[in-house]
Amino acid sequence: MQKDATLDAKGLMCPMPIVQLAKKVKELKSGQVLELLADDVGAKEDVPAWCSRTGNQLVGTETEGAILKFYIRVK
Amino acid sequence: MADKMCMVVSEGSFDKAMMPLIMGQTAAAMGSEVHVFYTFFGTKLVTKKANPKLPGMWRLFTGMFRNRMKKVGIPGYQEFVKQCQEMGVSFYACTTTMGLMGVKEEDLLPGVKILGAAAFLKLAGESQTTLFIG
Repeated sequence: MQKDATLDAKGLMCPMPIVQLAKKVKELKSGQVLELLADDVGAKEDVPAWCSRTGNQLVGTETEGAILKFYIRVK
Repeated sequence: MADKMCMVVSEGSFDKAMMPLIMGQTAAAMGSEVHVFYTFFGTKLVTKKANPKLPGMWRLFTGMFRNRMKKVGIPGYQEFVKQCQEMGVSFYACTTTMGLMGVKEEDLLPGVKILGAAAFLKLAGESQTTLFIG
């Protein structure tokens, strides 16, 4: 999937992937797509919850072994 | 307007100390306005000397817990409080229990406000979520 930036949150556990994600999104422009990499199983539910709450759009998810990839379009 | 979230913390052990920070930082990251009110044994947690330990026999394992949390990106207690404040989380010490616990205004961490029960209840009344950690 096309992306403008990547945030590697592998090795971080809840809530740090979400906290880093919130900070990173602020650096990006509206419409840009951020790729988030995480291996915390909690992220599977946390990232969609964060997106729906903040109005940023989750445009895709992929799994590569234990690594979860999220694609988020910035509001 | 942003959603509001309130927490009351009445215990001062490591687990009770970390929970409101984890929840508070996450809520702030989700765009909520967060208020954490410390009372009774929680009051010590917003002082400059705060270095919470696990309760009872678990106390001995506090360092191990802290190291494990560091490995997954969760900072040490004092640093964590600072990060929460940077994200807009507000911390309050209860006036009455400050006296009870021997905590003075100058002992409080920078940015911590002193609040009475009525003022906190006003905030809680305006909140969509209120959690009690004790």
